[in-house]
Amino acid sequence: MTSEQPTPEEMSERAAIDRSARFPVLFFFTSAAAWLLVATLLGFFSSLKLCVPGLWDNCQFMGYGRLFPAHMNALVYGWAMQAGLGVVLWLMARLSRNKIEHPVALIVAGALWNAGVTLSVVTVWFGFGNSVPLLDFPAWVWPIMAIAYALVVVWILPMFRSRGESLIYVSEMFVLGAVVWFPWIFITANLLINKGTAPVMAAGASAWFITNLSYFWMAPIALAIAYYIIPKITGRAIFSYPLAQVSFWILAALSGWTGFARYMGGPFPAWMSAVSGTASIFILLAIIVTVVNLLMTLKGATKIWEFSPSLRFTVFGMLMLAVYGLLSAMSSTYIFGKSLQFSHFVVGLDTLAFYGFFSMTVFGAIYFIVPRITGNEWPSGKRIRTHFWFSTYGIITLVVCMLIGGIAQGGSLSQWNQAFSTSFVTSSAYVAGRCIAWALISFSNFLFLYQLALMFIGKGRKTSGPTLIHAEPGKVESAKAAAGLN
Amino acid sequence: MSSNKFWKLLGALGVVFALPWLFLIVIPFIKMSNAKPVPYTEADGVEGIAAYPDKALQRHGSSDYGRQIYAAEGCAYCHTQVVRPTYAGPDMWRPGWGGREEEGLARETHPGDYATEKVAMLGYQRIGQDLSNVGHRIKSREVMHQHLADPRGLDPDSGMPAYKHLYKKSSIDDGYVPTGKAEALVDYLMSLKKDQKIPSAVVSGS
Repeated sequence: MTSEQPTPEEMSERAAIDRSARFPVLFFFTSAAAWLLVATLLGFFSSLKLCVPGLWDNCQFMGYGRLFPAHMNALVYGWAMQAGLGVVLWLMARLSRNKIEHPVALIVAGALWNAGVTLSVVTVWFGFGNSVPLLDFPAWVWPIMAIAYALVVVWILPMFRSRGESLIYVSEMFVLGAVVWFPWIFITANLLINKGTAPVMAAGASAWFITNLSYFWMAPIALAIAYYIIPKITGRAIFSYPLAQVSFWILAALSGWTGFARYMGGPFPAWMSAVSGTASIFILLAIIVTVVNLLMTLKGATKIWEFSPSLRFTVFGMLMLAVYGLLSAMSSTYIFGKSLQFSHFVVGLDTLAFYGFFSMTVFGAIYFIVPRITGNEWPSGKRIRTHFWFSTYGIITLVVCMLIGGIAQGGSLSQWNQAFSTSFVTSSAYVAGRCIAWALISFSNFLFLYQLALMFIGKGRKTSGPTLIHAEPGKVESAKAAAGLN
Repeated sequence: MSSNKFWKLLGALGVVFALPWLFLIVIPFIKMSNAKPVPYTEADGVEGIAAYPDKALQRHGSSDYGRQIYAAEGCAYCHTQVVRPTYAGPDMWRPGWGGREEEGLARETHPGDYATEKVAMLGYQRIGQDLSNVGHRIKSREVMHQHLADPRGLDPDSGMPAYKHLYKKSSIDDGYVPTGKAEALVDYLMSLKKDQKIPSAVVSGS
């Protein structure tokens, strides 16, 4: 990933890899985007129900307790896991210089994954769930998802193994980590919940699963993308390779200890939540180091983000990652945690992980990858810009509302001599904000899915230059000149 | 890449995760699973109950079905079942949350309290009241049904949705008749009591 110009042989090698990745990667991206739209709509309706509790009183399918978990499942398994798999496949193929050998097998595995996701969303929505956040599908659903996942990643490890003897890219380490860690946490948590004989640890495992999902799937993939895209687009090497490696290992060594801080004062030995809280605080260090490393890589070339959609989404995602690290460290301390735990803040924090830093970075990757694998450019820079701003305003509104709403709700809860319902009334305006946020995000993702569908059916622009924001399509030089970079 | 280097990296990725996995999840899980009831000693001064957790609280039949309905309706997304010590939140100050206060039994929740569950419904958020001891707070089935069928009839500020689909319209008047599901859910809710005295033999926090 240096700024050297690739030779013609390298260019044709890359093009061959991209062609081999076309169908499986597009399959994952498009079905993920469709699930994302479903998830955002469910997010909107669940927030609306929470805002106006009397709505749809007679309809069992429109209760908050069913809409919200269905929304979370669609968002995480439908969108985040699937889009992540698409990115991982392409990144690994490109970085290890291997073609994807079995596109059909991957698409079959992807279809199986989608069947698993459909079952997980539908069973929860139709009242067969078990109220365990993100793992609330019936016990027979998770093996389907585990098998589908294994059928996808079984092609990734050999790709990495057969690469040349050169330096291992940081992106590859993150990809490899995510691929190895996810099934481990997924299987452990599901076994503890469905087969375990320790009810309290089953609940603990579910909290552990949520934070580990953020640190062992969302964060590594987002960082793999950032470490690939930022140097690639700016044409520079990473500011510090050793720093990147150190922060990788800190993140890897500490993330598994998080989770129990969600149940501070819960029925666990006190050391468990103390260790989790401490881990979250030290992870903040690793995250700050990482984000600073990436921003230093970008230094002096920040204006590229004015017109490069990939860079803009990725950099914004990284800033959101820093905010996530900060908020999760903050809420792991007793001072903040005692009023923030169990408040709306939890929803804000989880959505910040799933949509804020993960999805925004993955959008950056998708805007980068899809033109390369389809050979078409995105139809409209304006739509990309709308997607960015609506998503950005949406997620910022959501996180701010849930943070302040959480503080208001937590503060009201600690007034023990007030009626309990005061806490609901005080925070309901912020829930209305969450509702508006999902409406904005839904709209932006409708545009995203529309553009992606056009690319999928081959209706993109057929020119050589990339689609840019604020510039004539394809005219990178003019955009660079406008930004004062040449 | 050489096979050696590949396995080394993969091994390192495994080891860094295996540590927390083992010490935070597997070992505590083994220690806590299949916990045996702890008998009371004379010093505890408890009469009528042999051990903690009490066998009579073991859930079966209708209230176990109610537990499934509680889970399926996603009640745990808004209701917690955990009473924290005061250093982690003011739960004990809320009237009735910790259990029977007049009898001096109110306390924080303890791992043994969840022995009757498959998965402890600790909860994701606290939009509604904590339900650890709701069986002590609401003593009449009638009122419990009202809470489910028409919560805002009891408290106009309540944020709880009505679970009308668990009730049938009465053929005699405008009222609602509970279905078997609603009865089971009420059985479960009435059984939620987490204030049994903890034997002195149980070391706090283990």
